[in-house]
Amino acid sequence: MLRLPTFRYLQPRSLREALAMKADAGPDGMFVAGGTDLYPNMKRRHQEPRVVISLMGIEELRRLDGWNVGTCVTLSALSSLPTFQRSQSAVAGAAQLVSTPLLRNMGTLGGNLCLDTRCNYYNQSYEWRKSIDFCMKKDGAICWVAPSSPRCWAVSSSDVAPVMVAIGAEYRLVGPQGERLVPAGRFYHNDGINYLTKQPDEILVDVRLPAPNGWDAVYHKLRRRGSFDFPVLGVAAWIQWNGKKVGEARIVLGGVASYPQEVAAAGAALEGAPLSDEAIAAAADAAYQPSKPMDNTDFDLSWRKQMTRVYVKRALEELRARH
Amino acid sequence: MCPAPVTAVGRSVPRREGADKVTGRARYTDDITVQGAWSGRTIRSTIARGAIRSITLDPAFDWSRVVVVTADDIPGDNVVQLIREDQPVLAPRGGEIKHKEEPILLLAASDRATLEEAATHVRIEYELANPVFEIGSATEVFSTVEITKGDVASVERTADLVVEREFRVGLQEQLYIEPQGAIALPEADGAFRVVGSLQCPYYVHRALKRALKLTDQQAIVVQAETGGGFGGKEEYPSIVAVHAALLARKAGRPVRLIYDRHEDLAATTKRHPGVIRHRTGVKKDGTLVFQDIEIVLDGGAYCTLTPVVLSRAAIHAAGAYSCPNVRIRARAVATNTPPNGAFRGFGAPQSLFAAELMVEHVAEQLGGGVSSVDLRRKWMLRLGDTTATGQVLTESVGSELVLDAALKAATTFQPSNIPTVRRGRGLSLVFHGSGFTGSGEKKLSGTIAMEALADGTFRILTASTEIGQGTKTIFCQLAADALGVPLERVTIAPQDTSLVPDSGPTVASRTAMIVGRLVQEAAAEIKQRLQRERPPLRVDKSYIQPDSIHWDEATYRGDAYPVYAWACTIADVDVDTTTGEVRVTDLVTAVDCGKALHPVMAEGQIEGGCLQAVGWATIEEIKMKDGGYQNDRLATYLIPTALDAPRIRTVLIENPYSRGPFGAKGIGELPMDGPAPAVIAAIHDATGVWLDEVPATPEKVLAALNGAQRREAAQS
Repeated sequence: MLRLPTFRYLQPRSLREALAMKADAGPDGMFVAGGTDLYPNMKRRHQEPRVVISLMGIEELRRLDGWNVGTCVTLSALSSLPTFQRSQSAVAGAAQLVSTPLLRNMGTLGGNLCLDTRCNYYNQSYEWRKSIDFCMKKDGAICWVAPSSPRCWAVSSSDVAPVMVAIGAEYRLVGPQGERLVPAGRFYHNDGINYLTKQPDEILVDVRLPAPNGWDAVYHKLRRRGSFDFPVLGVAAWIQWNGKKVGEARIVLGGVASYPQEVAAAGAALEGAPLSDEAIAAAADAAYQPSKPMDNTDFDLSWRKQMTRVYVKRALEELRARH
Repeated sequence: MCPAPVTAVGRSVPRREGADKVTGRARYTDDITVQGAWSGRTIRSTIARGAIRSITLDPAFDWSRVVVVTADDIPGDNVVQLIREDQPVLAPRGGEIKHKEEPILLLAASDRATLEEAATHVRIEYELANPVFEIGSATEVFSTVEITKGDVASVERTADLVVEREFRVGLQEQLYIEPQGAIALPEADGAFRVVGSLQCPYYVHRALKRALKLTDQQAIVVQAETGGGFGGKEEYPSIVAVHAALLARKAGRPVRLIYDRHEDLAATTKRHPGVIRHRTGVKKDGTLVFQDIEIVLDGGAYCTLTPVVLSRAAIHAAGAYSCPNVRIRARAVATNTPPNGAFRGFGAPQSLFAAELMVEHVAEQLGGGVSSVDLRRKWMLRLGDTTATGQVLTESVGSELVLDAALKAATTFQPSNIPTVRRGRGLSLVFHGSGFTGSGEKKLSGTIAMEALADGTFRILTASTEIGQGTKTIFCQLAADALGVPLERVTIAPQDTSLVPDSGPTVASRTAMIVGRLVQEAAAEIKQRLQRERPPLRVDKSYIQPDSIHWDEATYRGDAYPVYAWACTIADVDVDTTTGEVRVTDLVTAVDCGKALHPVMAEGQIEGGCLQAVGWATIEEIKMKDGGYQNDRLATYLIPTALDAPRIRTVLIENPYSRGPFGAKGIGELPMDGPAPAVIAAIHDATGVWLDEVPATPEKVLAALNGAQRREAAQS
């Protein structure tokens, strides 16, 4: 059985207290929310904080205020809110597709948005990783997926993050230097190690969703089973309708890069015209081109790439059907 | 009028150990605390083939806190006692390494932190050799089987149509819910008590005696509550138990050796993958002329139970059909992959997969409106027919009963209304020999005992284990009815080799039928004796082969099994033509079980087996890399969840077998046989493409669909 290393566990009651605790702990400290990502990772020694600071006791982070959602709201709560099911269905739907009911009861919105990137060579026990001399994401020097690569190719595996990028949500961060608002699309880096622009001592406090206003979005997830599994491909599609025509559109791919990958050309292929079969095919093709899954998740990578076209088409057809 | 007596058999009474299991009181191996016990672990090879050049214990580490066991510490023979003597308990210094994860060294320490640290201070150097990973390039043969009926060569030319196909089946992990584990405790007089998660206490008993040089009394094996087996705890627990005992012997204290899921997945046995080629000759009207079958199974690096798996595969290879001329040539080869072993079905799912799809291919090529169901009706074994081994079926032949029942139970087929999804339906008809193959039961002569105690209760003594399939409940039901007493007055002794006789292993769909019959007979005898005698009384009962059963090991002729259980399975699948994803939506299975001793558990066992088979057919895929399993974690070795399970409906057919207890036949493995070919046939029905292999992953299905499209385009 894999066991947790020993660590100190702190329970701040306010943001200020949490920031002070983190400042005291320095690089040895980490924030935790639901723990469904961090604790298994600690068992495998992916992260080795000596001090774990729980955010779950901070009232402000659990708040739901209109379309501002505290990051410690659980995925279960988020997916079951009738107002969200109605008016933020892509967010609620993506939250509902994460893992299993048990993990959604513990796992939080913030945790899913900050989910550690994943890779078949990384999500292994310490000893397994040691036997291949580790990888650059933790303890090693090489990327086993692409041995000549200077960077890590671990995969962004969040279901909710691609939706946030697609709908243009904003994240509010609070840190020692104060508060800042970051568009979801600028919160992520295409780098398996430094996949967030968030500083370690910053706390993701809440997410500001755009108010429903003539736009619509969907999220489609590809995985082997109906439960448990991380996405091997996620497609979030967002359209700002202008009558029968597409005003603006964004297509964001999950599970194929180290960040939620927006394919600008796919969105551009749709803009200014009705959502015709031709336009959908053009967008699907535009998304297919830059979709470059690596051989580090479930399924064959060429099949996953092919599925990009299928899934983008499906997502757009769904949006068209309900417009 | 007096009320009819309430009998236990045939009623779904509460499970004996059920309340303990659901309330958490049941003690599985890892739940058992032993004062002063150390923890053990296994150091394994990281190469697939080579020799151990050196084993170095880092002198910088304080080894006084750790017990180290190497092959030099084995007091008896360095052999895992099984069929062949090829597998060492621990690879010896200078000895050959034949597969990844082969045990080399054992460590034990008082705490896990020391143990884990010690493990990092062991250095093993190897001399590398060229490994063999593919069946095609294997040269070493573990065993061969040849079955001949009639003369294929002389009738070949008389067939109007000859169909040839090759089928492939993949590895599968048993994935019992509780990983392997054992606790060894040194006792007085040089004895060792081993408590563990296991199916076959006396297999472990023999292995301990052999490796630790113990007498019958010095080796004591006790089954802890066991979280599933599916064959995976048939032979492997011998290794875990011997390792634990070796550590306990050297440490002079109890040692726990509990595998975590990763070690269990990486190191323990899997279902044999294989390649099966069929050549079938028929007349224009569909009359079966000959079946020519070649089977090659991959045994992995050591023999384990491979020859018996191959034997069952070969005997079932012609399917549930009557053919005058049959030639079956089967062989099992060695590769440098972890050894494959027992898994529910034991070779039959592999060969029946090919046999059933062959019916489909022949029906398709014959054309003329002959359906595969028509062909099955024409070919199926019926009462009085002769199997490939020359066995005349004299009773309880359920082929037609299950076919009719499944067809009747199947719902009206509704095509898919989603344009990109095609729905199809497939059917399979299988049989499965209950009990050991050939003269196995005779050689084994399984024994049970029953006691009538002074307090008016009765106790069953058997080494047959409860691994979730219901042994404890069913045996008590059988005894209660044979004695004519209420169920509550019958108990069952713990599965402890110092208390119970060797009833044979809990495998081969034999427990309810063979051992259960002994329980029934012993109970009947006790009942009779109680008319004249007073308790306490004890009756021992051993299996005696009826004179009517004949088997010739040398020629593979005769009565391969005492009787067969039969099943017909109908699967509906949805195939997404844009992704290749297959979803089994509905499954109907009609099973001739002889007699349903406990209908709810019988249905449960059938449903579980069907789902395990659906997993094998669709999503369970082991990816190999350098001779090791690449997806050796639960996050990557995926089995169906409740959301992926089809609706499964079971129809139980009671077609009694005269020598089974109350007519019952063994059905533990049967449900693993039928679903895979039914699913592949359904995929063909939906899409027109043949896969001829499992698992039918979306990558393969989509490639087949695209290939078919390209061929169509090229033709037009």
